[in-house]
Amino acid sequence: MFNMLNLIRNEHMKLFKQFSTWVMVGLLVLVLLIVGIATKYLADSQTSENWKMQLQAENQQLTEQKEQVPDIGKSHDVLEERIAINQYRIDHDIPPIENKTLWGFMNSATNLTSLVTLFTIVIAAGIVAGEFSWGTIKLLLIRPVSRSKILLSKFMTTLLFALYNLFILFISSFIFGAIFFGFEGKELPYLAFVDGEVVERNMITHILTLYGLNSVDLIMMVTFAFMISTVFRNRSLAVGLSIFLMFTGQQVVMLLSEYEWVKYILFANTNLSQYMNGQPLVEGMTMTFSITVLLVYFILFVTMSWTIFQRRDVAN
Amino acid sequence: MERNPIVQMKNVTKKIGPKTIIDDLTLDIYRGEVFGFLGPNGAGKTTTIRLMAGLIELTDGDILINGHSIQKNFEKAIAHVGGIIENPEMYKFMSGYDNLVHYARMFPEKISQERIDEVVRLVGMEKRIHEKVKSYSLGMRQRLGLAQALLHSPSLLILDEPTNGLDPAGIREVRNYLRNIAHEQNIAVFVSSHLLSEIQLMCDRVGIIQNGKLISVESVSNLVENREYVAVRIETEPVQKTYELLKQSYPDKKVTITDQAIQMEAKREDLPDINKLLVTNGIAVYEIMSNKGTLEEKFLEMTGGNIDV
Repeated sequence: MFNMLNLIRNEHMKLFKQFSTWVMVGLLVLVLLIVGIATKYLADSQTSENWKMQLQAENQQLTEQKEQVPDIGKSHDVLEERIAINQYRIDHDIPPIENKTLWGFMNSATNLTSLVTLFTIVIAAGIVAGEFSWGTIKLLLIRPVSRSKILLSKFMTTLLFALYNLFILFISSFIFGAIFFGFEGKELPYLAFVDGEVVERNMITHILTLYGLNSVDLIMMVTFAFMISTVFRNRSLAVGLSIFLMFTGQQVVMLLSEYEWVKYILFANTNLSQYMNGQPLVEGMTMTFSITVLLVYFILFVTMSWTIFQRRDVAN
Repeated sequence: MERNPIVQMKNVTKKIGPKTIIDDLTLDIYRGEVFGFLGPNGAGKTTTIRLMAGLIELTDGDILINGHSIQKNFEKAIAHVGGIIENPEMYKFMSGYDNLVHYARMFPEKISQERIDEVVRLVGMEKRIHEKVKSYSLGMRQRLGLAQALLHSPSLLILDEPTNGLDPAGIREVRNYLRNIAHEQNIAVFVSSHLLSEIQLMCDRVGIIQNGKLISVESVSNLVENREYVAVRIETEPVQKTYELLKQSYPDKKVTITDQAIQMEAKREDLPDINKLLVTNGIAVYEIMSNKGTLEEKFLEMTGGNIDV
């Protein structure tokens, strides 16, 4: 155990002594800052003083839509949910969360987790392949430490890097949000629709849930990049392939969504929020199903990485 | 003196596809000796070193280090080994010191800061150890490589071309240092080198490998001294006449003219006769020089001129 801790310390030292790592962390904060400034000075306010009237108008529209559209899958449920939440806002005098508020900003900042995914893919792609391209793998592996432990320390360091970045994103979105938009409306809750009823939830809990849901995609793509990096010892291939799949995976799944088997594709399952609001991609998919599929892929990626890394002849 | 081998290679065989890279190699290496490993390019030197370090899997046979199999009991076997495999590649974006700290953390028993400072002094890197490795010359990287290999006081030191990139003073220093630790601290040092003269000066025993087969293991002193024939260079006037005369008298020997002088192989005891023959035939003899046998010649003899220098 002590041994493992030392290995992780080593990987951290190697990671954070590289300038490029800090560039990525800096870039994340910079992008967030730019989004903050843009929101404050460029974006229009979506809601005004008479938000109640707007919501009422929206509800009317939604009700009409509900009558026109046939009830396929859960399409009516989605509409009903929005109507119920809007009505709840009007009844309880809870205005919608505006973009130009602390909560609004922190909510939209959760979209930047895809940037964290991107950066972590780059780290995952380099953390094993780098040792091979630097030639340092030879001196690394002639120590009284098993190869599987070395690989584990690298994998854990990669995931920790993602965690640090998510933490930085969360904290700096709070700081920037507070600086740009103040604390107005901080008492407003998040409204969730559970079992046909609207419930008030703590906003921070909701934002953290969003981070959690986005992390599913992050972990899967990073594990994939890690596997490619280990199997092919090629950083560019690992980065390229992972990012390509990250951007096209969802679209391909959408295109193929009429087929039943599409539900076994990884990307049909990475978005767990499909079960919380809205309908799943393929009829009959459940949260348990998706989690099972995700676990199978995860175990597959990890087994591939470990088996190949342990058996590989280091001869370059 | 009763000596137990620190390394036992038993019928080591490595095949990659249909190609046999190392063919049934059996060799023992003892504590307290510097063992030189010689062979032309592609003979299997580096492959053997990688097999010893557990970087590649054996196809057949076994390698025991301090009695532990490198295959089945890797962590125990490798704990006694320090080494440089090929070039001493380090993390260039970190300082030399950080590199050492990195490797020091990978041993089960704690390696103290004092020990790190000690090896830094040993390889003479005190002044620049806190600079980034990127700024180091090849010689300095070689020293740092040696430092990381010595950190945990191994009982077997495997060094691939250890004097590569060092200046003559550095080479002598390393050579003396390696002989010293081998003989005084009873460490086995396994050195591969293409500099035959180096091996001759540094090693106690030498193994010669060709096409994956170990063709000879001898002590360096035996190898150099036990030679029947020596190369002789004879400077005379006129050269052509000398050539014809020698050709006639020693028809079974190879005689050539190079650089206006005669080159031939002869037994040492033949030299007075050759001299006499030339003088009585009215040839002016300026110089007869017999080359001291070097390992290089022996090596060329054995491997048929295929030499990696």
